[in-house]
Amino acid sequence: MPAASDAAALDGAAEPKRPSLAARVLTRSGGRRDERGLKQSHFENAGLACVLLLPQLGVLLLFFFIPAVRALIQAFQLVDPFGGSVQWVGLDNLLALFRSAPYWASVQATIVFTAAFAVVTLGVALLFAFAAHHVLRGQNAYKTLILVPYAIAPAIAGIMWGFLFNPNVGPIAYLIHAAGFAWDPLRYAGHAMTLVVLASAWKQVSYCFLFLFAGLLAVPRSILEAAAVDGAGPVRRFVSVALPMLTPTLFFLFVVNLVYGLFETFAVVDATTKGGPAGATTILVYKVYLDGFVSLDLGSSAAQSLILMTLALALTFVQFRFIEQRVRYSV
Amino acid sequence: MRSLIRSSVFAALSLCAALPARATTTVEFWHAMSGALGERVDELADRFNKSQSDYAVRAIAKGGYDDVVNSMIAAYRAKQQPAIVQVNERGFLTMLNSNAIMLTAELMAGAGYKIDWSNFIAPVATYYTQNGAMMAMPFNSSTPILFYNVDHFKAAGFDAPAATWPDFEAQLYAISQKGISKCAMVYPADWEWSFLENYSAIEDQPYATKKNGFDGLDAEYVFNKTRLVGHMGRVKKWLDDRILELAGQGINPGQLFIGGQCSTVINSTAAHAAVEAGAKFKWSATLLPVEADSPKKNSTIGGAALWTLKGKSSEDYKAVAAFYNFLAKTDTQVWWHQATGYVPVTHAAYEAAKSQGYYKDHPTREIAVQQLNRGTPNDNSRGFRLGNSAQANIAIKDEILAGLLGQKPIQKAIDDAAARGNEVLRQFEKVNAGRK
Repeated sequence: MPAASDAAALDGAAEPKRPSLAARVLTRSGGRRDERGLKQSHFENAGLACVLLLPQLGVLLLFFFIPAVRALIQAFQLVDPFGGSVQWVGLDNLLALFRSAPYWASVQATIVFTAAFAVVTLGVALLFAFAAHHVLRGQNAYKTLILVPYAIAPAIAGIMWGFLFNPNVGPIAYLIHAAGFAWDPLRYAGHAMTLVVLASAWKQVSYCFLFLFAGLLAVPRSILEAAAVDGAGPVRRFVSVALPMLTPTLFFLFVVNLVYGLFETFAVVDATTKGGPAGATTILVYKVYLDGFVSLDLGSSAAQSLILMTLALALTFVQFRFIEQRVRYSV
Repeated sequence: MRSLIRSSVFAALSLCAALPARATTTVEFWHAMSGALGERVDELADRFNKSQSDYAVRAIAKGGYDDVVNSMIAAYRAKQQPAIVQVNERGFLTMLNSNAIMLTAELMAGAGYKIDWSNFIAPVATYYTQNGAMMAMPFNSSTPILFYNVDHFKAAGFDAPAATWPDFEAQLYAISQKGISKCAMVYPADWEWSFLENYSAIEDQPYATKKNGFDGLDAEYVFNKTRLVGHMGRVKKWLDDRILELAGQGINPGQLFIGGQCSTVINSTAAHAAVEAGAKFKWSATLLPVEADSPKKNSTIGGAALWTLKGKSSEDYKAVAAFYNFLAKTDTQVWWHQATGYVPVTHAAYEAAKSQGYYKDHPTREIAVQQLNRGTPNDNSRGFRLGNSAQANIAIKDEILAGLLGQKPIQKAIDDAAARGNEVLRQFEKVNAGRK
């Protein structure tokens, strides 16, 4: 995109290592690079800033910090759901998890699910971004179509996929059967996992597509044209020129997908398989729900949330420290 | 401006006029009935409210049984609980030990109502009775029965389903092999109830020690050492041979029967309303099949009872007692039975329906009552009193299903199911030991 390269050219003298547009979007939350911008627009009156922050902080306190602290406490308790009896049990809840075969099965399912989800989502999004970038007519129509699934509620997406692929009544399952494949996610764990991965990925592809498409637009045309002059075809140009420049975006999206796969896929699982068959798609976040809200085993559920919370913090740390600091590609 | 004043005065006056017409005490009733059954509950509340003018019940649907329990617990902890809450039968021990409830027998005696508890049919009464006193108000009770597609059976050359599992199995295979149906039977949604619990009760097999939990919180699941293992082996064979089909998430197995795809379904007798309204073929229903040498004990109930929560005013409890008294009346029971398909929970209501000739026109409506009243309930067929039953059942179903779907040998799967169920029971014991 000319704008990006122009900006790079203008700033080139003062700041030789200017990241690409996509990378700059990423660094915004990283902080360090934006210090200048922050100083220009910060509030002189600290009191006013505090007042303006209050509503947001209140929301965070009410819906994030208080529940998090309560979960933290409950992880070390054995409580009766009605609140009638509370026993402190130390690490019992956590130790019970490490001894529990279903928990490890859930960990395994989560690893398979999250990895497959991240790879499928990124792969398809990349393919779409590449294709949409090369479409000359009706590019907006394609973009809109690809973005539509993002607007659909996960529960609805889950129900729809569950129905379409239901081996008894689903039209798509019917086509698969007609092709001679014994598709049955109700019986086979692998099929169920495939279904949940596809249903979740279908929604998240839109999000990744948006970033990758923007990233592709930010690749300087001059370099692509130079490659074309050297005889590189569209695929070669994409793989050898555009893709390396997209790596910061890809890394960012990979982490986002890991987080999404780990924590945001409850609704799809609940609507598509309810964690079945025989617990095959009970990923960790769904198990927190099952044990806490269906089984009312609040202590174990809280201990599981604690583990997930630690995992989320670790991933966020990786995102900030490793990816945003080290993986940077400059033009 | 003048017209505004006039209209607000008018509004205030009409409000005053409206007030005395309202009942003095209104109590909330949270329930788990949806669809047609939800409408019947609204109608029930309406009937009660119109039957007298002192009290009113407001029925509020809260989703499924699990949702009701979750909302109730959250509300109870926030001291916003309703007076009446509908909890399914497997929540009995959890509710009883919750320290959050008023016992129904005490409530009714305190309010001066004399209810003849012996009038309640045995499988219902024993389920909700502790030390001879009714703990919760029996509300909707059902039991699983076998619904079948008469046309499919006729086409295969049978008049009706056979009475024993081996003969019935042969019929299912015939229906499938003759190409009459691709789905001879559909896997029930609440199969832990029909395939596990009711099988054990009818065949007089112990499900758990301590008289299925009636004698103490230290009961243990023992279904992995009974004839149930053989029955599950049979179910696995049906699944493998595609005699039995799974419905899948979001699809009600009963709907696959009503749609004509599946020839048979084992379902609650409360499915009558849906089958009567939806089935476009000749259908009927019969008793659950039994083993060839079966002792043919009674089946056990499913459904729910009404629990009264602590922390309300004495006026509220008078309203609750009046509502329960209304529920126990024979007229109410007969209406409820006929409108919903649930069984009449009192002998008087059953006799009344019978003398009206109701079962002559609706013969399948009587099957559940006959099956529930078959023989005298004993330790294996009285019902189940096991802690955190909902939680245990998730584990038990997951493990057994893993065996049925071939992920592990069936005996190991059932052993694992019992072991995981026992972990839940020990946890429940521990929580309740800490209460004192």
